[in-house]
Amino acid sequence: MSRKVTHTRLAVVAAAASITVLAGCSSPASSDNAAAGSCEPAKGKVTLQYWNTVPGMDKVVDLWNKKNPNIQVETKNISNDQYGAIGNALKAGKAPDLAQVGYDQLPNLRTQDAFVDASACAEATAAKSKFVPWTWSQSSFGDTGVFALPQDTGPMALYVRSDIFKKYDVAIPTTWDEYADAAEKLHKADSDLTITYFDPNNAEWFNGLLWQNNANMYGYSDDKWHVTVESDQSKQVANYWQELISDDAVRTDLAHGSTQMYAAYQKDQIASYIGAAWGYSMFRDNLPKQAGKWTIVPMPAWGANGTSGNWGGSTVAFMKDSKHLYESVKFNTWLNTDPEALALENELGGLYPAATAGLELPALSKGVPYYNNQKIFDVFAESSKKVDTSFTWGPTQKTVNLALQDAMAKAAAGDGALADALAAAQEAALKSMQDQAIPAAAGK
Amino acid sequence: MTGIATRATRAVASSEGRRRRLNGGGPRAGTVIAFLIPFFLPFVLFYLVPVGYALWQSVRVVRRTGGQYGTSYTTFGGFEQYAEVFQNSEFWASIGRIGLFGVVQVPVMLFVALIMALLLDTPLLRLKSFFRITAFMPYAVPGVIAAIMWSYLYSPQLSPIVDLLKGIGLEPDFLGPGAVLWSAANVSTWLWTGYNMLIMYAALQSIPQELYEAAKIDGASNWTIAWRIKVPIIAPSIVLTTVFSIIGTLQLYAEPAVLRQISSNISSTFTPNMLAYAVASGNNYQQAAAISVVIAVITFVLSFGFMRLTSKKAGL
Repeated sequence: MSRKVTHTRLAVVAAAASITVLAGCSSPASSDNAAAGSCEPAKGKVTLQYWNTVPGMDKVVDLWNKKNPNIQVETKNISNDQYGAIGNALKAGKAPDLAQVGYDQLPNLRTQDAFVDASACAEATAAKSKFVPWTWSQSSFGDTGVFALPQDTGPMALYVRSDIFKKYDVAIPTTWDEYADAAEKLHKADSDLTITYFDPNNAEWFNGLLWQNNANMYGYSDDKWHVTVESDQSKQVANYWQELISDDAVRTDLAHGSTQMYAAYQKDQIASYIGAAWGYSMFRDNLPKQAGKWTIVPMPAWGANGTSGNWGGSTVAFMKDSKHLYESVKFNTWLNTDPEALALENELGGLYPAATAGLELPALSKGVPYYNNQKIFDVFAESSKKVDTSFTWGPTQKTVNLALQDAMAKAAAGDGALADALAAAQEAALKSMQDQAIPAAAGK
Repeated sequence: MTGIATRATRAVASSEGRRRRLNGGGPRAGTVIAFLIPFFLPFVLFYLVPVGYALWQSVRVVRRTGGQYGTSYTTFGGFEQYAEVFQNSEFWASIGRIGLFGVVQVPVMLFVALIMALLLDTPLLRLKSFFRITAFMPYAVPGVIAAIMWSYLYSPQLSPIVDLLKGIGLEPDFLGPGAVLWSAANVSTWLWTGYNMLIMYAALQSIPQELYEAAKIDGASNWTIAWRIKVPIIAPSIVLTTVFSIIGTLQLYAEPAVLRQISSNISSTFTPNMLAYAVASGNNYQQAAAISVVIAVITFVLSFGFMRLTSKKAGL
């Protein structure tokens, strides 16, 4: 016993000593705001590190490596803990040259000084004309530099089990009102059946629904961020889903992409899926027996307002520790604008390209066998045109999403309502910005 | 008992004395250092340095140069981060949740472990090594794997157990708001009971048989021997396993984090460690460090306090 006490005392003393040592060598970072990198090509062979979460990306990279012996790319799949891996690598100064980053996390990482501005490379700035405008605006932070190239987007649509709708003689809904009616009818017809599920742990999906209703949550003016997570538009969406949940017309016990979710679809317990373009390969690959039973239609609309939502989509960012900016730009541009690469990414990883050239890919104008040869990408292309391009993300989006999820889960379990979750998220947004010394205020 | 112990100590002491005399003075300093390095180097690298780093981070705050994104830097902030931890209601809610978890799970687990150890120790039981191995087996399963396995058994979509219970008219919801804490507790219990049992069993094995013979001659039943002789003698092991369990409870992470994948009733701040992780993942490393330090201090106070309390009471 006494030996243990001595040990602990020793530990405390040593720890205190190390604080003094470490504190002595700390210094504030330079006040340069994301300096542009230099764009000199390297002499000889270069190997780039590229982290991503897309299935099949290794095959796309193989294609590049075969064609470019002097710029070899190594990939690492980080889908397990994408932003944890990137955040820790940044803190350790060991980030890769390129990393996949979702649009919603770009501002967050920008405030962590994660990127290098690639605008010194002519090829990077010239790429602007090749992308859907809002994707470029988000990844260049309104043209203040080139920090990432857009990779894919997630225009949303409604996936419908047309056989189930037919069986119960329910019309496929085109507005959210009709969707709620259909939900009641289907659940009444079969108590094991619901029209969809509401995953309280999926803030990204819910944000897509908010986006559809023009619920702009962040703005920047007068030297500070303006936070409106809780607004009339967002409350309208929250109240709508609250009603469906309270009526048991949607279930809340499934997590997106989980084995349990697929099992529920497999057992014909769910009749539709409100998803993004990239979801097409998810269903194809995980529910092969349901081939031919799905149809994809436009997302239900809010009354006459026909806007669509966007869920997810990613960029490939230039990370600040990269020593090969020139080569990174070359590979990144090819990866996200070359028709051959884009076609492969769509086929293997289900990516829906952010490059305008990608939208005209032959592969995207053909019928997809799993969906009864329906030309599903026409639906997504139409949806993409209707996405509100002014929507922006906050600089502490991850923390806000977590707070939103925790509060949505409470509401789904009957403790409070979804509208309260918006209030909680609003509070978390302001608090987390304060913690990061980012000036912010509530309201427009 | 004391007689035996003293005799043993004396024997060890005298043999050491002999060795010392043979060597002509104590071992050389070089030898001591060579033997200590394998312990001391990792101890410094993986214990002292991270603790020091956490303490250092916890007294810093983020500041930022102007502009929409600005550039951040950290500077000394005194106890600002700690003040925030103490005002964080989520933190105290997670501590409360863990407290409830521990108060129920630890006694249940240790009681089961003790009963199993005592049963293994009775001369009546056959196939001892078989039972010992099977009881210990869950400990060989990594915590995350165990949690994933149980998550399938809890899940209404996939579980044969839920199907069976439904067959007899029950509607269990292992992942519901009221039940999920106990579902996580069950995974911990399953994982750790065998481990604790083995520590207690090892202590039981070291009790000299003469004691039991003497007790039997005095007319003690097996029951009396177990509760009046065995349990008091292995009390130090029970205290040890309790301390381990208290520490384990406060550091609970893997089981709820895995169950969170399939149940929305586990929030991102369900346990103190999960809260620290969530805060760190929001890039607030300084606040996460302060939370970690507070968890460590609470763990230290509770485990050490428990040890002091029991050692005074039992006169250990």
